[in-house]
Amino acid sequence: MRDTEYNPLVYFIDGLVTLFNGMVVTWRNLWRPKVTVRYPYQRRPVPPRYRGLFYLKWNEEKQRLNCVGCTLCAQACPTDVISMVKLGKGTHAGVSEFTMDLGRCMFCNLCVEACPFDAIYMGPNYELASERRDASLFRIADLAQGGEEAVRKNIETIERLLAEEEKAKPAHAVHAAGGESE
Amino acid sequence: MVINVGPQHPSTHGVLRLILTLDGEQIVACEPVIGYLHRGLEKMMERRPYRHNIPFTDRLDYLAALSNNLGICQCIERLGGVEVPERAQYIRVLLMELQRIASHLVFLGTFGTDLGATTMFLYAFREREMVLDLLEECTGARLTYNWVRVGGVPDDLPEGFGQKVLDFAKLFRQRIEEYDMLLTRNRIFRSRTQGVGVLPKETALAYGCSGPVARASGIPYDIRKVAPYEVYDRVEFDVPVFEDGDVWARYLVRMEELRQSLRIIEQVLRDMPDGPVQTKLPKIFKPPAGIAYSRVESPRGELSFMMVSDGSPNPVRVHIRAPSFVNLSVLPRLLEGAKVADLVAILGSIDVVLGEIDR
Repeated sequence: MRDTEYNPLVYFIDGLVTLFNGMVVTWRNLWRPKVTVRYPYQRRPVPPRYRGLFYLKWNEEKQRLNCVGCTLCAQACPTDVISMVKLGKGTHAGVSEFTMDLGRCMFCNLCVEACPFDAIYMGPNYELASERRDASLFRIADLAQGGEEAVRKNIETIERLLAEEEKAKPAHAVHAAGGESE
Repeated sequence: MVINVGPQHPSTHGVLRLILTLDGEQIVACEPVIGYLHRGLEKMMERRPYRHNIPFTDRLDYLAALSNNLGICQCIERLGGVEVPERAQYIRVLLMELQRIASHLVFLGTFGTDLGATTMFLYAFREREMVLDLLEECTGARLTYNWVRVGGVPDDLPEGFGQKVLDFAKLFRQRIEEYDMLLTRNRIFRSRTQGVGVLPKETALAYGCSGPVARASGIPYDIRKVAPYEVYDRVEFDVPVFEDGDVWARYLVRMEELRQSLRIIEQVLRDMPDGPVQTKLPKIFKPPAGIAYSRVESPRGELSFMMVSDGSPNPVRVHIRAPSFVNLSVLPRLLEGAKVADLVAILGSIDVVLGEIDR
């Protein structure tokens, strides 16, 4: 629809058509449903795959967090967000501390994909802004499903299992204690 | 007279400073100053294992993050000789075309606003929001998707995704007609774009322009056609080429690409086979020593990655050829002799993203 040479009359009529077309589009849009959301009062539904704040999965059956402290997620992280303190070893390993510095996090999902124990996931919470710098540091109680209570139960369960394992072990097998490690 | 445009200006999608030398209303010389967004991404990539680099590429061209993901993943796949399952290739093409629509809609919206058609911005961004909702449902993020992996895609499409995309395609075809009514047939818009910022074919070739900028100057160059990757050789689509090389032609190329993207999406959804979406790779990925080069057609042009491996887990050298960087280099030639009022039209029509220029 390239213009030819300048002709005032053609341009004038064209201008009127432009005006009319614009009005037609405006008229059509007048009757379409509103798409704006009044955010703090209204919220959009969040899709199930949404990548928001992390959580550590709580295993109700075993009464512990799924995390075994294998550091695979920390190794998969491009920006070294994750650090953790391992609790126990072998079949009953867990974590006593799990810290994520989300100030550096890109929410790239690589840690979630790296986890072979279904321990770490990304949830629907996206309101992570804060006025304090240290609020970007999320500790285990902030991340675990169930909060403080879950962390306490998690440590209790793992310590109990470790103690039971220690008791069940025959006296001469002490040297094999570190057998199944990462 | 010398004036500064930027570093903050709404029509650049980033921080670009232009030092303009003026003679009255005419622009005599223009010197783009870049680097305000420099993060040293290429160097950062050399310090990390191959697959850790994929999320960084989201931050290159942040309006088309998936194209960048695909570029780097193709490069690593070539380096390591990794096969991609067929279904994953189809999913990749589907996501790329959705991404192209989202990116071109940003162009349409901001370009319209630059030229005074403010309502265009609202309509284009409303439709872009629909694409972002689709991509969010599939990938979980709205801007930095990070949804291509070496050897496939991380997960299959969610249930009912194909139908939603088809519904969108049907609706979007009607909306393109409305854009045509608002902009293409607009007397003022046509007067402001036709014959403005003419880029001759020879200049475009000499500067190495690619993407819509090259195609508007009569160069039928589209990586999807000249060196097909993924399953682009199995889908039918046309590459719009215009001979005039002005702002108007660059706008028309992008409008036509929106339609062609819809065509590709419909074919991909029809032909998509079942099967796995990712190839299993070892935990520590060590490609053999060598050099790999890959190129993809991002919404802005030819985006390519080069990686050098010495057999260790980290790349030795990464180079990114960003289409916006090359396309921006032609801007001083375009602005010579242009009027100040046409500056935003010309700059907007090149559609640069500063994230990938500064890297």
